[in-house]
Amino acid sequence: MSQTITIDPVTRLEGHGKITIQLNSQGEVEDAHFHVTQVRGFERFAEGRPYYEMPSLMARICGICPVSHLIASAKACEAIMSVRIPHTAAQLRRMLNLAQMVQSHALSFFYLASPDLVLGMESDPKARNIFGVAAAKPELGRAGVRLRRFGQHMIELLADKRIHPGWVVPGGVTEPLTTAKRDEILAMLPEAHANLGLALGWYKQFADSFKPEIEVFANFPSLYMGLINEDESIEFTDGALRLIDAQGNTIEEGITASRYTEVIGEAVEPYSYTKFAYYKPLGYPQGSYRVGPLARLNIAKRMGTPRADKEMAEFKQLAAGPVESSFHYHHARLIEALYGLEKIEQILTDPLILDKHVRASAGVNRLEGAGQAEAPRGTLNHHYKVDENGKITWANLVIATGQNNNAMNKGVLQAAKAYVKDGKFTEGVLNRVEAVVRTFDPCLSCSTHAYGQMPLVLSLVSAEGEVVDRVVRS
Amino acid sequence: MNGSPIRCLILACGNTLRSDDGVGPWLAAWAEERFRAEPRVRVLSRQQWTPELAEEIARVESVVFIDCAADLEPGLIRLDPVEPAAGTQGLATHQLGAAELLGLGRELYDSLPCNALLLTIGAGSTELGEEFSDAVKEALPEACRLIEETVQQYVTTLRNRPANEA
Repeated sequence: MSQTITIDPVTRLEGHGKITIQLNSQGEVEDAHFHVTQVRGFERFAEGRPYYEMPSLMARICGICPVSHLIASAKACEAIMSVRIPHTAAQLRRMLNLAQMVQSHALSFFYLASPDLVLGMESDPKARNIFGVAAAKPELGRAGVRLRRFGQHMIELLADKRIHPGWVVPGGVTEPLTTAKRDEILAMLPEAHANLGLALGWYKQFADSFKPEIEVFANFPSLYMGLINEDESIEFTDGALRLIDAQGNTIEEGITASRYTEVIGEAVEPYSYTKFAYYKPLGYPQGSYRVGPLARLNIAKRMGTPRADKEMAEFKQLAAGPVESSFHYHHARLIEALYGLEKIEQILTDPLILDKHVRASAGVNRLEGAGQAEAPRGTLNHHYKVDENGKITWANLVIATGQNNNAMNKGVLQAAKAYVKDGKFTEGVLNRVEAVVRTFDPCLSCSTHAYGQMPLVLSLVSAEGEVVDRVVRS
Repeated sequence: MNGSPIRCLILACGNTLRSDDGVGPWLAAWAEERFRAEPRVRVLSRQQWTPELAEEIARVESVVFIDCAADLEPGLIRLDPVEPAAGTQGLATHQLGAAELLGLGRELYDSLPCNALLLTIGAGSTELGEEFSDAVKEALPEACRLIEETVQQYVTTLRNRPANEA
């Protein structure tokens, strides 16, 4: 008799999802799926709206990474307008995106992942949360709170609001940076570095104790994709896409937003509302790839800032080719946050950063436009078509979570096969299967981000639909 | 966590696009204006309360949380003391309650405000919309009066922190 294990909802994620694990009659794991159970519909209800409304509308997709949506959307609009934004506006946007990356990575590492890392995968689930971390390692908890606050406060300083700011608009940004705000950000950086350094040092000291998890947490060859600069350094806001294969060879280079659809296709599966992106020349699912921190560090040759470059060199020692285990997303996330802090400081010393010319203007000059940026979780592409009056007639978004979808599913299966034996599971096993998904830091709902006190329910269901075992975590 | 000139923090929560759920931000805006000239009062309004706010709370002598309540009769106002949660009751990261914020502040900063009150107003409707229900509209003057009275008391009365939390 075959059986199904369901983990619903998966906890410590951005949004609502569930996992099902299918067992065969011998109790061995046969298949596993990660389901995203919400439908959003932003692409459809954008239709009929003026193109210049898109950034502020699309930012509502997400409360954690609205800045990435703002930027990708504004760039798509600028392609429609055929304008090149002022240098200072581009630098300010870059800095805003980095601030968001720092706060989002802090949330992922400290709030979502660190309970597993600090307290252990098998620890009491009632205490395996930010409160447990605060009690066990308050200095790490304080560092997380402060680092996230740094990113959020910086977004508020630049863009007036920490969530869904309206500062990024088609053509640039609405207001220039003031001297007072620049100086305030500069003054906050030393403490942010100290907090990040504490986390990175702690992680590197204890990562080896998770060798069994590293072995089976989505640890397999795949393609990787992300934005990169011409000098092969990492990039979050501009640049062009590079794809590498499982051996680290470059298979696509210089893919701009408008060429995105030449190489990236999207498939659907009946068990999830999230699409499955794939590299077209290899087809689906063979062309599945990973995006986000791990992918970005795999495709780049250097970070482009001194301390992050040193950390990247150490990171690349983890493997002869691309670093494959998704457990290392945690490490990559911290290195990216370090890069973000260093890069923000570099940008703030740009002699033109206080320039008042921060917005270009134009009307509709093309009927189609696309823009891309790196969200904390990976590459984001917005693609719009408009009529001659500038009203949206079609929109398509390719988000990071969709691009990691196949790898997440494959990773859940790999971990389930490693940990679920003879149809039996413990709470610790459940947590490890969930933790695989958490390494990717997927953003499922991209809106409410509140999981509050949702219970986790795992059911063992027979092929006939009868619940034969059930574990509830409340 | 001392040294801050702020003696009383007003911390509101709610969504202004969800009818009566927006009463927290509305009262925060009122308090911001009312206490504009009072440097010992700080007002923060958030759509959700997040862990970062634990630090703000740990810095102050008194805190007044403001929220709407779905389980109260519409327009009914309550002003209740808040005790810190033990910290094992939830898995939240983006959204915490007043008790959890106090508990997190105690764990992280070994500090608690000596006064913590939660002002709640029963919600008549939390459907999409920017208008308050009649019951909440009628409750606003009394809610403002309570906030004024409480905050005035906090900023003018010197309180000593409990010894173990100083």
